Amino acid sequence: MHIGIYICHCGSNIAGYLDVKSVCTFARDLPDVVVSKNIIYACGDQGQDEIKQDIEDHKLDRIVIAACSPLLHEITFSRAAQAAGLNPYMVEIVNIREQCSWVHKDSYDYATQKAKDLIAMGVARVRNLTPLTVESVPVNKDVLVIGGGITGIQCALNLADSGVKVHLVEKDSSIGGWMARLNEVFPTNDCSMCVLAPKMTEVADHPYITLHTYSTINKIKGHIGDFQVSVVHKPRYVDESKCKGCIELCESVCPIQVPDEVDRGLSLHKAIYLPMSQAVPHIAVIDPVHCVGCKLCEKACEPEAINFDQKEDIVEFNVGAVIVATGYKIFDAARKPEYGYGSIKNVITSIELEQMLNASGPTYGQVVRPYDGHPAKRIAFIQCVGSRDELVGNPYCSRICCMAAIKNAGLIKDRNPQANVSIHYIDIRAGGEDYEEYYIRNQKKGVEFIRGRVASVKQVDGEAVITYEDTLVADIVDETVDLVVLSVGLEPNSEVNDIISDLKLTRRPDKFIRPAHPKMRPVDTHTRGVFVAGCASGPKEIQVSIAQGMAASARAMGLLHSGEIQKDIMSIKVIEDLCRGCGLCEEVCSYGRITVKDGKAVVDDLTCGGCGLCAAACPQGALQPRHSTDDQILAQIKAATSDIKEMPLIIGFLCQWCSYAAADLAGSQGISYPTNIRIIKVRCTGRVNPSFVMEALKRGADGVLVAGCRPDDCHYLNGRIKAGQRIDILKELMSNKGIEPQRVRIISIAASEGTKFASEITQFVDDLIEIGPIGSELE
Amino acid sequence: MNESGISSALKEAGLEVLTCMQCGTCTGSCPSGRYTSLNTRRIVRSARTGKNILQDENLWMCTTCYTCQERCPRDIKIADTILTIRTLAVHEGFMLPAHRKVSQLVLESGHAVPINDDVKEKRKKLQMEAIPETVHKYPDALKDVQTLLQSCEFDKLTADK
Repeated sequence: MHIGIYICHCGSNIAGYLDVKSVCTFARDLPDVVVSKNIIYACGDQGQDEIKQDIEDHKLDRIVIAACSPLLHEITFSRAAQAAGLNPYMVEIVNIREQCSWVHKDSYDYATQKAKDLIAMGVARVRNLTPLTVESVPVNKDVLVIGGGITGIQCALNLADSGVKVHLVEKDSSIGGWMARLNEVFPTNDCSMCVLAPKMTEVADHPYITLHTYSTINKIKGHIGDFQVSVVHKPRYVDESKCKGCIELCESVCPIQVPDEVDRGLSLHKAIYLPMSQAVPHIAVIDPVHCVGCKLCEKACEPEAINFDQKEDIVEFNVGAVIVATGYKIFDAARKPEYGYGSIKNVITSIELEQMLNASGPTYGQVVRPYDGHPAKRIAFIQCVGSRDELVGNPYCSRICCMAAIKNAGLIKDRNPQANVSIHYIDIRAGGEDYEEYYIRNQKKGVEFIRGRVASVKQVDGEAVITYEDTLVADIVDETVDLVVLSVGLEPNSEVNDIISDLKLTRRPDKFIRPAHPKMRPVDTHTRGVFVAGCASGPKEIQVSIAQGMAASARAMGLLHSGEIQKDIMSIKVIEDLCRGCGLCEEVCSYGRITVKDGKAVVDDLTCGGCGLCAAACPQGALQPRHSTDDQILAQIKAATSDIKEMPLIIGFLCQWCSYAAADLAGSQGISYPTNIRIIKVRCTGRVNPSFVMEALKRGADGVLVAGCRPDDCHYLNGRIKAGQRIDILKELMSNKGIEPQRVRIISIAASEGTKFASEITQFVDDLIEIGPIGSELE
Repeated sequence: MNESGISSALKEAGLEVLTCMQCGTCTGSCPSGRYTSLNTRRIVRSARTGKNILQDENLWMCTTCYTCQERCPRDIKIADTILTIRTLAVHEGFMLPAHRKVSQLVLESGHAVPINDDVKEKRKKLQMEAIPETVHKYPDALKDVQTLLQSCEFDKLTADK
């Protein structure tokens, strides 16, 4: 083993606050070290060249750089090492700037001692490193898009236009989704179909898109790069190759009228029908529930397209990535009985109003009272029906309803300026581009905005009477209106449960699909190679759904375009000789990436994110994150405790995402705290095996700090929560053994909380001084 | 009673009012508020801001029908909140004279509405015993009730001021 150590001065950023010379001398005597050097700026070209030269001259097989945070320059040094022929994973960065010199500016000697300890820990780790190669596997470059609404359509078009072959699966007989049912759309008042239909036709005609309508996902197996998909084509009882979509002949002879399922029978269609005049594909479908089998259509159809013998058909294909664009469903307004939907005729939903406003809809664009068909002159919109309502389990805002109500209220005023239209709201949310201006324009038309959630709608002599408090003047009002429009919220689509479980996706408490990170990775999911876009991950306007469709298709292309993908360097390696097949790992993995086969754990290491939750659970040590093994961590603990020069001594396990970044932030903000902590970076607090904690205490550390993200921010679903549970149990055990449980502390610190990190350390040190040195409680 | 008294009493009772969004569903649903100056939304607002409303007569206008609580979209226990504030008010000596009277009747007779001759007659007509199976019939039980009420100082709380 030939180790080279470089102590960066970072100008005076490090050299100004600790004795870099004595650190360098100390490092020279560490085991296997052949080179130990001071270097003014290690990250500069000159510094890197010097390191590269040493790797060649001294045949260095591993290097330690004591400098700034690895979050800044780890990649720089790995690349330099690689350029000199070293494996890039044989480099260890020791953080002596953000986590040492910058936070201990008034403690020169202690800071120097801490730097020495950190370097000893770095050397201990680097001695346990093994060269790693990032494995690559070839991928299928085709993409599956689930859902043919505006989001899915946009995904498919973007991908196909870039030369990617797409399978677009839609459960209905036409693509278009909810947007195809809207009349006009905000904030431009475009006719919805006029802007959507060209895209639908483009999908139908695109040579790179295979369209599966009237189809559902049967099963998806496999993983990133190679998903095996099977799709069920439901029978239309109409031969797709023969039907011309002329519809007149077959429809006119069909004796059955079926009420439309979305608008509560406001409109009717025949048992053989086209769902809309712009349907894509333009092929009729027979509704098997309502068809009586009279076969009149069969006789009427000139191209002989009717086929009552058609059967369900299963189609199978493989793709490299999946985009879930499964959209939403509308809140069932009958779940709010106080609003009388279903029992009071003049109460309708916003979706029904869209149909009414449509010039080619059931009322030819007239807004009428369903009770008697007379024109509605007094119309009240009730907002937040099924949104912002914990009683129905939907605490979230559905985001589109304010703007949709403003739009429809304005359209009614445009057509009938005499109409009295009010919107009853809790808060108006018009937070998009050109939305506030749109709101103002419609206020000017005379739409009444009344702040107060309507308490109830009652039927009095056939009329709908709304009762509400106008909260801005504290008046309680009963008012008879011609039409009540319930602005119904958006709910997660329950039909996609199987898809979610096949793809091992996770959901938020609101049941929408959870993106990998709500802010920074909005279209990624927790499963590699699977993306989510549009309302599948929560209510969104059309423009945002389109943007997400574009984003998801770009992400899918970025992933697959090279034709191969790399495994995560932290992915778990199973040491088969040690594994006893107990299955604990399978149980603990939040993502379901581990299965026990033939008595041995098998990790899907292509999709494993390397959090290490399983590694910390394995009683045999049979599961090891490739670049963060038990041996590497234990070596660091041992080095930190081999020559203790500070009391109290704290060993800190910091998750790399939030807490480690917070510690760095304390450094860059120059917030000082005691020198007593020695930090070990881990991927997630879930990686911290309780035996690490016990080992640290056994070897003389006075306290152990485990610091992670806030539980909701955990980058690995529930790593922080599970770590908390483990530490709680450990504390109980410690207590039983007579060891003060307060010596172990688990905390959550967000990356922005540098001050909190510093104060936590200060407090912990004070507490440990109070408790006394390790073992004192046993005397 | 200081300002935080209401907040801490609500907290102790496990009643969350901080999440109120002042939507007015409670007020619109309140059968009493249509005829009195009771505005449940304002009571929750005051409870949230810590305003001292113990002397507010509106506290006593609530019939505790619980419609507000049943409909609140933020699941705030509005009627329970009003009851908790009432309890505090009584401990601070605020109570409407009529409620004092009723309380005293409970102390004296074990009933908020004690039986009278009219009712006795009606009961007889319906072929029931004139006196019902309550403390009216069992003076020893009435004594027990009184002992109970006194032991929790109900008598002192409701005594005339």
